[in-house]
Amino acid sequence: MFTFLLKALWRKLWTLFFVSIVSFAVIHLAPGSPSQIDPMNPSFTKEQLERYRAAFDLDKPLYIQYTLFYQRLFTGQLRSFKDNQPVLGKILERAWNSLPLFLVETILIWCYAFPLGIAAAIKRNSLFDKVTTVLVFALISIPGFYLAYLGIIFVVENFHVDVIGLRTFGREGVGGFYQLMDRTWHLVLLSVLGATAGIAVLSRYVRSQMLEVIGSDYVRTARSKGVAEDAVLYHHALRNGLLPFVTMLGLLIPGLIGGAVILETIFAWPGIGRLGYEAILSRDYPVVIALNFIAAVLTLIGTLVSDLLYMLVDPRIRL
Amino acid sequence: MTTNTQALSPSRLAWQSFLKNRTAVVGMAAVMGFFAVALTGLLLTKGEHPILNPREVRLPDKLKPPISTPNREAVPAASLPRLGVYVLGTDELGRDVFARMLEGGFVSLSVGFVAVGIAVAIGLLLGGIAGYYGRSRVGVWRLRLLTVDTVITGLIDVMLSFPSFFLILTVVAVLKPSIWNIMIVIGLTSWEGTARFVRAEILSLREQEFIQAAQAVGVPGYRVILRHLIPNSIAPVLVSATLGIAGAILTESSLSFLGFGVPPPDATWGNILSDGKRYIFDAPWLTLIPGTAVLIVVLAFNLFGEGLREAFNPKLRQG
Amino acid sequence: MLTKRFLILAPTLVSLFLFQSYFWVPTFEDQVKGDPGRLTRYISASLGDASILNPTLSADAASSEVNSLVFEGLIDRDLDLSFRGRLAESWKIFEEAYLLVDESLKLSDGAPATAKVLLDRLNAAKRSQAQALRLVQTIELLPGATVTEEVRPPAREKRSQGAQPAKVVIRRPPRLKFTLSEVDQDFFEELDRLLGGYVKRLDPLKFVTAPDPAIAQAVAEERISATEANPVIIFNLRRGVHFHDGHEFDSDDVRFTYETIVDPRNLSPRVPDFEPVKSVETPDRYTVRVTYKRLFQPGFESWGMGILPEHLLNREQLRREALRAGKDQEKFSVRDSAFNRSPVGTGLFRFVEWKTDQYIRLARFHDYWEGPANFKEYLIRIIPDLLTTEVTFYAGTADAYGAQPHQVARLQNDPRFHAISFLALGYTYIGYNMRRPIFQDPRVRRALGMAINTDEIIRYVLLGHGERTTGPFPRQTDYYDPDVQPLPYDPDGAARLLSEAGWKKNGDGILEKDGKPLAFTIITNSGNEERSAIMVIAQNAWRRLGIQVQALTMEWAVFINQRVDKGDFDAVVLGWSMGLDADIYQIFHSSQTGHFQLNFVGYQNPKADELMVRIRQEYNNERQVAMAREIHRLIAQDQPYTFLYVRKNLALMDAKIVRMKPGPDGKPQYLPFVPNKLGRVNFHFDEWVKTPTPVLPPYRSEISAR
Repeated sequence: MFTFLLKALWRKLWTLFFVSIVSFAVIHLAPGSPSQIDPMNPSFTKEQLERYRAAFDLDKPLYIQYTLFYQRLFTGQLRSFKDNQPVLGKILERAWNSLPLFLVETILIWCYAFPLGIAAAIKRNSLFDKVTTVLVFALISIPGFYLAYLGIIFVVENFHVDVIGLRTFGREGVGGFYQLMDRTWHLVLLSVLGATAGIAVLSRYVRSQMLEVIGSDYVRTARSKGVAEDAVLYHHALRNGLLPFVTMLGLLIPGLIGGAVILETIFAWPGIGRLGYEAILSRDYPVVIALNFIAAVLTLIGTLVSDLLYMLVDPRIRL
Repeated sequence: MTTNTQALSPSRLAWQSFLKNRTAVVGMAAVMGFFAVALTGLLLTKGEHPILNPREVRLPDKLKPPISTPNREAVPAASLPRLGVYVLGTDELGRDVFARMLEGGFVSLSVGFVAVGIAVAIGLLLGGIAGYYGRSRVGVWRLRLLTVDTVITGLIDVMLSFPSFFLILTVVAVLKPSIWNIMIVIGLTSWEGTARFVRAEILSLREQEFIQAAQAVGVPGYRVILRHLIPNSIAPVLVSATLGIAGAILTESSLSFLGFGVPPPDATWGNILSDGKRYIFDAPWLTLIPGTAVLIVVLAFNLFGEGLREAFNPKLRQG
Repeated sequence: MLTKRFLILAPTLVSLFLFQSYFWVPTFEDQVKGDPGRLTRYISASLGDASILNPTLSADAASSEVNSLVFEGLIDRDLDLSFRGRLAESWKIFEEAYLLVDESLKLSDGAPATAKVLLDRLNAAKRSQAQALRLVQTIELLPGATVTEEVRPPAREKRSQGAQPAKVVIRRPPRLKFTLSEVDQDFFEELDRLLGGYVKRLDPLKFVTAPDPAIAQAVAEERISATEANPVIIFNLRRGVHFHDGHEFDSDDVRFTYETIVDPRNLSPRVPDFEPVKSVETPDRYTVRVTYKRLFQPGFESWGMGILPEHLLNREQLRREALRAGKDQEKFSVRDSAFNRSPVGTGLFRFVEWKTDQYIRLARFHDYWEGPANFKEYLIRIIPDLLTTEVTFYAGTADAYGAQPHQVARLQNDPRFHAISFLALGYTYIGYNMRRPIFQDPRVRRALGMAINTDEIIRYVLLGHGERTTGPFPRQTDYYDPDVQPLPYDPDGAARLLSEAGWKKNGDGILEKDGKPLAFTIITNSGNEERSAIMVIAQNAWRRLGIQVQALTMEWAVFINQRVDKGDFDAVVLGWSMGLDADIYQIFHSSQTGHFQLNFVGYQNPKADELMVRIRQEYNNERQVAMAREIHRLIAQDQPYTFLYVRKNLALMDAKIVRMKPGPDGKPQYLPFVPNKLGRVNFHFDEWVKTPTPVLPPYRSEISAR
């Protein structure tokens, strides 16, 4: 098992190396200049532009820029083109804002996907199964921003309350409980919208996993031995059918940074996704590269964790 | 194809099972309907003087609701809509939304098809090579350290590490949005699933007798891949392609929303939707029509694809 | 079964918890729920975040909004747009003019032009009240000097690069210094007439000796000029004004602000406004003397720029900051300072905090010299999406936002909101590249303009929130000539004009001349729906005339860098945003037609050229107006652009906001908004308050250009 871990780590490190190259190279597909230089501004002379390029190391060969970039990123010295703030600090601050959203979304997804998927599998081909199937697919098929607008307009038009941002803006100095509930309310619509696709996908997985298990020999055996139906389903089938989902805990990690670019932009939520979008718009390349890279690193960590979890729950795998 | 040894071939079996799944059949019908609409749209809206002109501007008739008649006094006779009414209303410049939707249908469909075509081509190629030639070694000079399989699965790992939408957004932003860039970028970032699939399928197939027989007779490798291995693993690829088209259409509309979609003059459902959302309070049909259209088409592709998946997976096949 | 119950209970409980939070959130009608302080905060919504909170370095709209509240300039514009003193209590503008004395020249009557002769003659003329000297107050003689210098050959001459430094002798002759009570750009012209052509015969090259004539020429041009006219502004500063940190404001701060702008390390976008300044001196704590290198009237307005605190940003402070941050002290400039994210000024509000992409919080400054504002806080909330901005406004968590025409059209009768509209300082136009043969004929440009129904565009695209414009100056100013008539919408007339210009319809209905069809491409930048709409409308209109028109939108950077700046386009839809001054030199002068310059359409008119130069040197408003109107007529005649319209800026505001002043009995007195000449209502922002319910009928702008 220890060798397995080492092997997996070694592989991830290689992947990480190439990930770092790809993140960096993507930005250099086309020549660009730092955002603080307005090409329309006639007052910038050629010399000033050159000085700018030099200040941001844009005049150096690519491989040197590459090493400088990651050196600065890891030492926390990398600064955003846009506001000269440290990139890592910005990302951490935004990650902190995205965290509650991520948690609530995850809770919603797991709370809803399992009951829905299990029920659909048990009542296969019933009306319930068909309706949830179509509904679930409708949720994956709807453009997210379209649903978001419909949702926001519905709530604001009918209830006249704020749903945009972290909290009701301009309301300060209110009691702690008010504040907590205010923040919770601002999470509701956004996280429900953010969770829809997740619920849809996960509940489909759960359903097909359950179907496989229900059709397997040991469940049939249990049934034929006269074990009560509920016990068969919830004891035997569920436990084995859902074991693989434990490994999904690892895959949740990258969701933290993968972020919902569109939803966060619409809701003016100062999270990671919006940070990325604003950085792309203002050609704030250090932030864009760093975000792509960190997201990839988290994915790698996530897969590693999920491999390990898989090994723990499934005794057949001992590599 | 010479595997037809049983009474019913696996594909025939799958087909029969598919036909029993009513939602999937409805999905398939809707997909066919969409093809018909897109092709009709192409015929009706192409050229300098199309039958239904999606580019005709009639300012006095701006933002007319669906099924309203044109203002014959203010609009020149030559500009009146061919059908006598604005079936789906007009947009902020008085252009006929029906004609624009017809025009956009074909473009949206081609974005989906070309993107997925690219993804499937790459996936098949790399997956096939990794599966069949996986054990041969490559390297620089005499250092032949890596197997083909390691290189390709490594590449897949690297690609899978990135949050795909953010990566697409970054690349499209750097390259400047154009219909070709969008198709290529979506294609280049969504081949990994297919490649993995094909690789696994071929790894298991190549141990089977008919392949080993072919190899023993001395059939060259590429022929074995093309004539035997790929046709045998094509079913799951088709399934994922169907779902992929749905995904690509959605991705395009999300990119449009963020301002990085297919630029005008090409109309797509995505950019009609994101242009129309400004007027959601004044002219809700500009949002509802393309939004619902995207929803229905993507849902149809998803249901169709899911039906195919269940039908091709013996464990999930309906009894 | 436990599992089963859990599976049903968990989602139900989670949902219940989430949804009950609704009952704790305030509605639009009840904004003070749990927080009466809401009424003391003004919240404005902005689409973009600020970039740098330093008035000398910022260029974007969001930063400017904050900077105008935190900082204050020496002057600003009053309700009627005349200048008003802020940090400067008063000012005086006069001129100092210098004339070389060349003894080797002879005056018209044969007398040598020695300093004495010149002085005598001028004093005599002044006593007899000669017209040329009517503004002259004093005349002094300044002695000359001889200097020997080593000069490197001018860099622009490639062939002499690397050459040895040349020894140059400059014999600077004595000069006469005139002090004029007003700036007069024709002073030397008249003086030359008085002195019988003496001024025009002066040749600076005489006073320079160098081995290479090219070097001599360059040095003479740079170091010695026959005449020099230096406008001078004396600002008398307001006493007892304090920065937000309590430090007193004085003349050093003004000088320091100027130095910050012109310091090349700071890369200030304001450099062009201050480049003509020769020196800024501070004779005492409350006096600033600004001397310009040449006559440049538009320079005065730039003193409205926010003044920086010298005591926080001077060399010593920067050095310490660099040391703390572990940066290179030599390279560390004002642009690098943390000041730009936590500014300190003398303005109505002081800076509190800035959360990137979320909000910027300002609090009122209690020691503001004109008295503190009514609002306790000013928040700028950043919401990147137009539609959510609107929705936020309905929910009552933004007090005002810049609205779109269709939003105002829908809500202008809603009593819950003020609807404010005012003409923008800028215009939208279609520009024709006059380097292209087809556009060289003014009849063609006129015909293209006549084919476009601008009134229809204003009516349907802008929903009436715009007005036609006919020339290059802002409609609200006197520079705009109201007598210039807009082009009529007349497609038949346009067709006749085109046929006069030689374009006839061929068999396919396409206009043709010498066998070549009339075909071109119109482009604009993507992302601006108004411009794309105009492009499509123009394309449609021109096609009806029989012109083959392609229409394309392209990404801003490509559009500007690769097409407009390089002159590689036929026709463009674009807009200019203007200042309130009469300076359009960069946009229409024939010297500005090169790559990356702003006269990218290649407009040339010698008469207009001369006027555009003269208008910048004219300090008299009446004469400026006369010149500007003449330029306006010339440009309207030539139609380098099809001038379309000036759009109105629109804003919606919560109707609970009104002006409030304590009345004579101490009770609050509520007053309606008063717009300035531009139609903006925030002139009295310090008097604004928000009341729990509307106390006055909602404000509706009734503004027309004139």
